[in-house]
Amino acid sequence: MNTQDLQTEEETCGMSRRGFLGLLGKGAVCAGAIVGAVGAGSAIGASEAGSGKRAYQQNDKQFAEAVNNPPKIPEYNWNDHQWAMGVDTTRCIGCLRCMEACKMENSVQMDANHNRTWVERYVYLEGSNTALIDSQADPKNIANAGSETKFRFDNRYKDVKVEKAFFVAKLCNQCEHPSCVEVCPTGATFKSKDGPVLIDTTYCIGCQYCVQACPYGARSFNESRGTAEKCNWCYHRITKGLNPACVEVCPTGSRIFGDRNDPESPVSLFIRNNHVQVLKPEMGNAPNVFYVGLDKEVV
Amino acid sequence: MPKHIVRLLVLIVVIAIVAFSAKKFLIPASFYEYGHYRGAAVAEIASKVPKLQGSAACQSCHKKAYEEWAAGIHRKATKNNVIQGLVVKNGPGCEVCHTGPAGNHPSKEAMPLSIEDRVTTITHKHIGHPADVPGRNLMLSAKDMQSVCLNCHEKLEARPKMQPQIVVDSHSGKELCTTCHNPHSPRVDFAALPRPPYDPITGKAILVNADKPEDAGDAGTGKSVAEACAACHGKAGMSVNPEWPNLAGQHAGYLVSSLKAFKSGARKNDMMSGMAAGLSDADMRNVAAYFAKASCGVTGGDKAKAVLGKAKVTEAGCAACHNAGGLRGTGAAGISASQAWPNLAGQNAGYLTVALKSFRDDSRSHAVMSSVAKTLSDSDIDNLSAYFASVSCK
Repeated sequence: MNTQDLQTEEETCGMSRRGFLGLLGKGAVCAGAIVGAVGAGSAIGASEAGSGKRAYQQNDKQFAEAVNNPPKIPEYNWNDHQWAMGVDTTRCIGCLRCMEACKMENSVQMDANHNRTWVERYVYLEGSNTALIDSQADPKNIANAGSETKFRFDNRYKDVKVEKAFFVAKLCNQCEHPSCVEVCPTGATFKSKDGPVLIDTTYCIGCQYCVQACPYGARSFNESRGTAEKCNWCYHRITKGLNPACVEVCPTGSRIFGDRNDPESPVSLFIRNNHVQVLKPEMGNAPNVFYVGLDKEVV
Repeated sequence: MPKHIVRLLVLIVVIAIVAFSAKKFLIPASFYEYGHYRGAAVAEIASKVPKLQGSAACQSCHKKAYEEWAAGIHRKATKNNVIQGLVVKNGPGCEVCHTGPAGNHPSKEAMPLSIEDRVTTITHKHIGHPADVPGRNLMLSAKDMQSVCLNCHEKLEARPKMQPQIVVDSHSGKELCTTCHNPHSPRVDFAALPRPPYDPITGKAILVNADKPEDAGDAGTGKSVAEACAACHGKAGMSVNPEWPNLAGQHAGYLVSSLKAFKSGARKNDMMSGMAAGLSDADMRNVAAYFAKASCGVTGGDKAKAVLGKAKVTEAGCAACHNAGGLRGTGAAGISASQAWPNLAGQNAGYLTVALKSFRDDSRSHAVMSSVAKTLSDSDIDNLSAYFASVSCK
């Protein structure tokens, strides 16, 4: 091919090879810039959601409404708070007073299997690499306590050699990205701006889709009311400046609650001064209950 | 325009109007206000009335109980102390043990009495009294109290080591927690013992007996069993060797628990382990009843030592459990308050010395006695033994 041929080709195509490559480069830069800008934009969105500035699935108009016209709760503005809970499993003594207090406070069904919060016992026998797990709903524990409403762990491991054992309190994680809200067909459950995932019982049709969706098993179905049941961190208490019932009664301070917007609140101190974990981080729900002392078997 | 097209258009418009007005009518105003939910629900949920009231709410009526709690270890652990930036400790408030939130509590209107009257004269007849809530007993009976204490203090493998925990059998046996501990302020104050269990409502002492009626043995049947014991402990329960205990007049409950401990190996003695191994539970109860009914005797001790021992009794802490009728009323020195604890009055000084020394060197163990004995010197032990040996057992 000679120079004349190249000239002809350029004229035919309307573009030289150099021109084409230059354009390709410019295009790549532009595309990169666009992707970068979009990425940065979504990063800002995520951090806003993380600090509670924007609730889950809230559009701009609804967000503005939430900020400017918050729900009418006396002496409370949900824009000022971002609630979180800590659970120190190294302090939990498994007394189950949290369960009892929760049931009384929230009129949860008084039986072993419908709980807003519960405690699990993990026991590694000597030489075993897997944990034996039970909760108060275990038939042996119920038989030992004598009643489903006397929440109590039995002493079944007193005659065997135990390598390691501990209690873990569980409750709704009030996730940043709640699966239960995602699946609710009626808008009966939603993420409030200050953290808790709430249930509007007048709108719940009892389909129990949320019960299945929750990766933590934190929801149950209240047959007597016909609606889903879940922990809401005692929303009626925290909006009045009180602690949730379980935190209020915990005799060892294993449960810690507070406002993450206040750097000196118990939970802020707890998160700042401990190496905290969340349950099932791989699920991507971004829980708001932070644990200390979790073991490999705890899910 | 053709007729059928017009009809179709009209139909579409009508459906659209119906659908639109239905949507307007059925979706509440606050739906979509903050998101895909009814915005008004937030305030509705928040408007629920809290039931748990916190310990401070109890203070105005239950002054005495509150003061005890406020000064005690249960309260001291309650403050959310912040040390080095970490929140440490909490503690049980009123509603933790007195199950049932104060929200179930009778209102002032339900109890038209003065505050002082209310505390002392509440009876169960008041409608809405917490004690009437089915399955709940807010004002705990002494029996319930034990299970409530054990909710937190029973030794469980999974419980963190820093939590005070007990194994009931070795800590107190059948004795109720409240015999030694004030649940409002549970650290035992030996100077304040004996501590009569009292009714938190009326303030009156309650007589409690941890023993079940079916535990009582038959002394007549026990007499034949006792023949095996006679070689060492004497036919009437007075031992032939000063280092072996007299059994005459001893509490039956204590004798049974001792025999059981020998049988199980929890308490070790070459002779007794063998003897107890052959006894059934019924045998134990019967023989214990026989010796408990036998007339006790005083073996006596060195008089000079007894004087020194008497001076030491209160300080050493013996008096709290083994003296003056102990916790259950008036009685004599050396006569224990509880069926679960031995009478010491008139006991052989030699045996008492051996027993205290074995508690001290941990060859015999008991939650309370092991720690008490470790505070005693050899001469203290001799003096105390001489004192109790010379006290009247009647």
